[in-house]
Amino acid sequence: MRTALAIARKDLRQRIRDRSAIVVGVIAPVAIAGLMSLAFNGMNSFHFTLGLVELDHGPVAVELAKALDAPQLRQVITVSEVSSTALARAEIKSGYLGAALVIPAGFSAAVTGEHPESLTTLSSNDGSIVGSVTTSIASSFVAQVNADRLAFATALAAGAPRGDAAQLIGVVSKLHIPLQAVQQAVGAHELKVISYYSPGMGVFFLLFTINYASRSFFVDRSQGMIERMRAAPVSPVEILLGKALSVFVYGVVSLATIGVVTTAAFGADWGAPLPAALVGLALVFSVICLTALVIGVARTQRQAEGISSILVFGLALLGGDFFFISSAPSTIKHLALLTPNGWAIRGFTDLATIGGGLGTIVEPVVAILVISAVIGAIALSLARRAVTA
Amino acid sequence: MRAIAIARASGRRVLRDHVALFFLIVLPIVVIVIVGAVAQGFNTFRVGVIDLDGTQASRQLVAELSHASGLAVSDYPNLTSLEKAVGRSEISAGVVIPRGLSSDERRGRAVTVAVMAEQANSTQQAAATQVTSVVDDFGGKVQAAQFATRYGGSFTQDLSRAAFLESSTPRVKLTSRVVQTSQGSLPPGYEYSAPTELVLFVFLMAIASGATIVETRRLGMFERMSAAPVRPRTIIAGESVTYILIAAGQSLVIVAIGALVFGVSWGNPLAAGALLILWCLVGAGAGMVAGTFFRTPEQASAMGPVIGIVFAMLGGCMWPLSIVSRTMREIGHATPQAWAVDAWTSLLSNHGDIVTISRDLGVLALFALGFFALATFRLKAMLAARGA
Repeated sequence: MRTALAIARKDLRQRIRDRSAIVVGVIAPVAIAGLMSLAFNGMNSFHFTLGLVELDHGPVAVELAKALDAPQLRQVITVSEVSSTALARAEIKSGYLGAALVIPAGFSAAVTGEHPESLTTLSSNDGSIVGSVTTSIASSFVAQVNADRLAFATALAAGAPRGDAAQLIGVVSKLHIPLQAVQQAVGAHELKVISYYSPGMGVFFLLFTINYASRSFFVDRSQGMIERMRAAPVSPVEILLGKALSVFVYGVVSLATIGVVTTAAFGADWGAPLPAALVGLALVFSVICLTALVIGVARTQRQAEGISSILVFGLALLGGDFFFISSAPSTIKHLALLTPNGWAIRGFTDLATIGGGLGTIVEPVVAILVISAVIGAIALSLARRAVTA
Repeated sequence: MRAIAIARASGRRVLRDHVALFFLIVLPIVVIVIVGAVAQGFNTFRVGVIDLDGTQASRQLVAELSHASGLAVSDYPNLTSLEKAVGRSEISAGVVIPRGLSSDERRGRAVTVAVMAEQANSTQQAAATQVTSVVDDFGGKVQAAQFATRYGGSFTQDLSRAAFLESSTPRVKLTSRVVQTSQGSLPPGYEYSAPTELVLFVFLMAIASGATIVETRRLGMFERMSAAPVRPRTIIAGESVTYILIAAGQSLVIVAIGALVFGVSWGNPLAAGALLILWCLVGAGAGMVAGTFFRTPEQASAMGPVIGIVFAMLGGCMWPLSIVSRTMREIGHATPQAWAVDAWTSLLSNHGDIVTISRDLGVLALFALGFFALATFRLKAMLAARGA
């Protein structure tokens, strides 16, 4: 064990002496996560300014304006009164307004008549969803009016006497839509951009350890270091253990520093410390296994660099380090769960959104360990050969 | 002639490297596929539905939700998976159609459809508004059928009657009008991912290629060339030709695959060609700068991707600059990537031509010139310091 520790100490000293280790291990992930936080500052939410072109000034229009100011809608829209349709169009073009709702003159007077006026929504052609949200808001407001009209027409068609139309209208106006959509909270927190990309970038740059550690092994071997260690005599297991320990310490320190810095500086949410730490430790273990795999498969330093680079970028792409995996099509979501980093990101985001403690991370941690065990088993036989070669 | 000989030697070295070829061709294509699949634009809310009733009436409601504009509906097998999907933001809202919906409707009872969404989450609130609108609309027909049964027919008959009369009954209509605006971002899908990944990878690869130049430098090859004697300008020209050709080859492969496999229209050919050439020059120039600034190949391999990714983020390759703050947009335009993405946006989203993107091309030309000038200056200084 002492020998393994000595090898780990030597590897770590070498690693820290190279300034790029600190850049890749800490500065780059923190900088990139911070950059994302700045870029998306205030962009976590869906909100737009709705222009209201109120040309009617009748009682129904006043009610509609009041409805737009309802507390539950304030999260989604800010209403800004606009004097004309032309001005609303110009402000949508300039980007000040996301969309506009036009209440035409005579709307209130005609709402119960034979020919009700239409409400018009204006939105830009950028494919954004604000237009259909505006339509939904207005549609909910006129839903009862339209439902009453339909009830009246259906009753007449079903046999209600036409002579009693006035009485029928009176009864219909007291009806209420019997189907109600009622919101229910699931008790989850919104996933902030910074809370996704801090672990995402931390994990991505942690994967670079595979590159450095495997290259360092082959550099040692090409310089005859491994042979000299074997002659000491040091067993292959001790050499591998020493290398693994250095990767472990570097990985843990890097991930923990990124976690602390992004939490303190940018308000990233990594979840409760203990479960988050367990996910991190499981991931570092998988990085050790992946490093051993590269050492086992590669024959030269150049091959090790190539294989590890492909592995790092492949895993990062599949695992969702660069994009919100929740927005991806289901095939990509399933592929992410074949990677240890995909499971780690799921663990961290579950802790940040669903919350909870150790129960939340059981599945991700077990999955990472199973994947690592499979990789480790293959790697161990191959890596032993690399050391004894 | 000397420059061409240097270029040939460098080119052979790069093309022998199979890993470099993976990063030049395979990785960009994989990224284009994944990002293209993910960046489908923000024009729908994903909504999960669980139908606990399983009747014709409940299926009808699910169908109306599925056909509603702005909603992409998927089924969930149970409540737990629906709750988790909302919690993980995989969907913007979860809809629970209760058991007994159909029988309660027939009996004239009020029915509650639960919409899972967090009060504090505005995206989920917006999705819930969309769902509420569809439920209200569906409820209007149920109200009509329940009321009409007082005068004749069964609930089912009157529901069909209401559905039939819905289109002919005068109602307050909602008319949607589109205001034509100049697009600030690339179209969603592959037309977004292909140009942005081209910009990202040509630059990133060029910077990472700096490692090869550092290696050449470390081996003392530049000093030997200077002793030939070859001027620093010729050395830079020779090395540059290689990287310009590699960048051009990489760009052409991405353009061809983008057009043939993913159906990407690259806009006005003349403008797109000029933009590609300038971007290759910018990339090669940046690679030369990296080659003269990094001290070791390891440093170049480690720092190259970091610099490439940071510049790509600032420059709008990872997300459209139209969605970030004005300050971030201005900072982003300190990178050549932002000007290149602006030009692609103009070509692909706003049918721009060479005149429309002339300013972007001018700025990119300045970047390229600046990079080559800096690299030549650095190499001269290095050779002078070593007494070459």
